Amino acid sequence: MSSARETILARIRAGLAGAGVPALPPVQSGAPLAVAELPARFQLLLERVGARLVRVADLREAAAELARLCAAGGVRALVASDAPELAPLLESLPAALVRHGPEAPREALFACDLGLSCAQWGIAETGTLVLESAEERHRLASLLPPHHVALLPRSRLLGTLGEALARVRPGAGAPPSRTITFITGPSRTADIELELVVGVHGPKHLTVFLLDSA
Amino acid sequence: MNLPGPETFAANARAALTDETLRGALRRATDTFAERRGAALAGVPDWEELREQARAVKAHTLARLDHYLEQFTRNAEAAGVHVHWAADAEQACRIVGALARQHGAKRLVKSKSMATEEIHLNAALARDGAEPVETDLGEWIIQLAGETPSHIIVPAIHKTREAIGALFVEKLGIPPSSAPAVLAAHARERLRRHFAEADLGVSGVNFGVAETGTILVLENEGNARMTTTLPRVHVAVMGIEKLVPRFADLEVFLRLLPRSGTGQHLTSYQSLFTGPDGGREGPRELHVVLLDNGRAAMLSDELLRPTLGCIRCGACLNACPVYREIGGHAYGSVYPGPIGAILTPQLSGMERAGTLPFASSLCGACKDVCPVKIDIPTILLELRQRAVEGTRESPAARGGTVERLAWRVWSLCVTGPRRYALAARLARLGERLPFLARLAPPLAAWSTTRERPRLAARPFRATFRRPS
Repeated sequence: MSSARETILARIRAGLAGAGVPALPPVQSGAPLAVAELPARFQLLLERVGARLVRVADLREAAAELARLCAAGGVRALVASDAPELAPLLESLPAALVRHGPEAPREALFACDLGLSCAQWGIAETGTLVLESAEERHRLASLLPPHHVALLPRSRLLGTLGEALARVRPGAGAPPSRTITFITGPSRTADIELELVVGVHGPKHLTVFLLDSA
Repeated sequence: MNLPGPETFAANARAALTDETLRGALRRATDTFAERRGAALAGVPDWEELREQARAVKAHTLARLDHYLEQFTRNAEAAGVHVHWAADAEQACRIVGALARQHGAKRLVKSKSMATEEIHLNAALARDGAEPVETDLGEWIIQLAGETPSHIIVPAIHKTREAIGALFVEKLGIPPSSAPAVLAAHARERLRRHFAEADLGVSGVNFGVAETGTILVLENEGNARMTTTLPRVHVAVMGIEKLVPRFADLEVFLRLLPRSGTGQHLTSYQSLFTGPDGGREGPRELHVVLLDNGRAAMLSDELLRPTLGCIRCGACLNACPVYREIGGHAYGSVYPGPIGAILTPQLSGMERAGTLPFASSLCGACKDVCPVKIDIPTILLELRQRAVEGTRESPAARGGTVERLAWRVWSLCVTGPRRYALAARLARLGERLPFLARLAPPLAAWSTTRERPRLAARPFRATFRRPS
C-alpha cells in the first residue's frame, strides 16, 4: 500500500505547490461556568435529553438507590464495569441478582437488564458523561443493557466540553485512553418520520448517581 | 435497481416535484431541522466566532494536508492502528474486502458513513460474497428497500411510516404496524442478532486528530458503538480531508456539528478511538482506510478548496429552497443539496455532474448556515462557468447556442443609446400584443411559472430629459 500512500501525498503536494499556508489560529474554548451552578446546570441538561439524575450523599446511599432501582425494575441480571468504586454497590444487592463483569460471555451480557459503570467526568453545559477506558472497562456495561446507571462524583463535574477534552489528555503529549465515550442521554432515533424513539440500539434509560462525598 | 444519475438532474427534479408524499415529508423534515437549529444557536452567543475558528482551522489543515496526514498516520500507528491508503474507490473497497477475507469475515455490520456510500462499498463486498448489514435505522430501512439515502442526516426521510411498516411486514415477517416505536423495537431486536454474530464492523469517521492519531465517530442510536465494539475487527473509512491538527480542536467542531445538523447540544454518543483496545472489551484490531478518491485533486484551486472543509452536517440541505422541494434523489449523487452541487462535480467530474451547479437560485441561504463558512454560491458560479467553458457536448452546455445568441442580442441592444431606445420601443409595442403575453420556447420555461415584469409606461430617459 506504500505506493498508494506515495501517490496520494504526491497529488496533495502537487495541488498545494506554491500556495500560501494560512496560520493555524490558537485553540478556542467556550466560556467557563461558575462552579456553584454546575450541578443544577448538569441536571437541567440531563433531564432535557431524557436522562435522570439522583443525588446521593455517599456510597451507602448510592447502594440503597441501586437496590431500590433494581427491585422496581425487576432486574435479574446486571453487568458492571471493573471500576473498584462499584464494589460496595454490588455487594449490597440481593444474592439472587446475577452480577457479570465485562469479560462474561456475550450472550450473558446481551441478557442483562442493567449496566453499571462510573463516569470519569461530567459536562454541565451539555449534560454529558465522559468515560475513559484506561480508568474502567465501560464499553459493554454502558451500551448493551436497556438501562445504564452511572456513578459520578460531584468533584468530577466540569463546566464545558473543552475542559473535558483537556482532562482526558493529562499533560502535553500524553495519549488519551484508547476508547473514550461521551454519553448524552439515552440512545435515540428520529429516522421514521422524525418521530423521536428512545432506546433504539443502546440503552433506553440513563440514570446518573451524582455522589456528593467524593 | 437503476438509479438516476446527476446527468438527468432536470428530469429527476421534475419527477420529484409530482411526488406529493415526498414533498410533504421533505417540508416537514427541513422545517423541523431548520427550526431546531435556530433554537440551538440561540444559546451560543459566540456562534460566529466558532464558525470563523472552524473555517480557519480547516483552511490551515487543508493547506498542510500532506503534513497532517503523515502526522496522523505516525501517531495512529504508534497507538497500534493499521493505516491503509486508498487512492480511489476501487482500492478502498479492495482493502476492506481483503481484510474481511483475511479474518474469515462473512458477516459484517456497518454504521452510517457517507464515505462508504461514496465508494459503493456494500456492492463491492457483496460481490466478494460478504453480507454487509447497515445498522443505522434509516440506512437499514433503505437497505431493506433496495433504495439510496435521500438526506445526509435522515436517510429514509422520503418514506412514510406506513411504507416502512409494509416493508417490515414483507421483509421481516412482523405483524403489521406503522408505529415508529414498534418498528424501531423490531429493528433493535433483529439487528442485535447481526451485532452478536458479526466478525467485522465498518464505520466512517467524523474527525481524525493528527496530534494523537485519534478518530471520532458521532451518532445518536448506539449502532456505531455496537459496530465498533462487538466485532473482532473494526475498519474505519475516513476521507483524507477529515483531519484536525489538535485534540483540543475537537471542541469547536463538536459545538458546531450537532447544533447545525439536528439542533442537539451534542448527539447521544461520541466515541473516540486512539488505537484498538486489544480485545479488552472491543475489537482486537483497528484499521483506518484513508480515502482520496478525487479529494487531493480538489486542493489545487484555492477558490474551490474550502469545499473539502465540509463536516457533513446537512444544514445547507435544510436551508436550500431547491433541495426542500425535490429532495436528495434528484441529485443522483451520494451528496445532495448545495454541498452536493459543488462537491459532486469536483469528485465525479463535470462530464457527469456538470448540471448540478445550476440547481440553485444562488439565494445564499446555504452559505449563511454553513458551520465552516463555505462560500457555496461563489463556488457554484465558478463551477457554472467551467461547465459552460468546458466541453460543448456536456449536458450543461446543451442549449448553449440559444443562450449565447440571446446574450449577443442583449449586448447589442445595451451598448448603443440608439439601439437601446429602439429595442425598448419595440419591447413596449410587443408587450401589447396578446400572443406575446407568454414567451415562446425555450424562454417559455421561464414564463410559465413566473409573472413577466412589465415595462414602465414612460421610459426613464424621457422623464430624465423632461421632468413632468
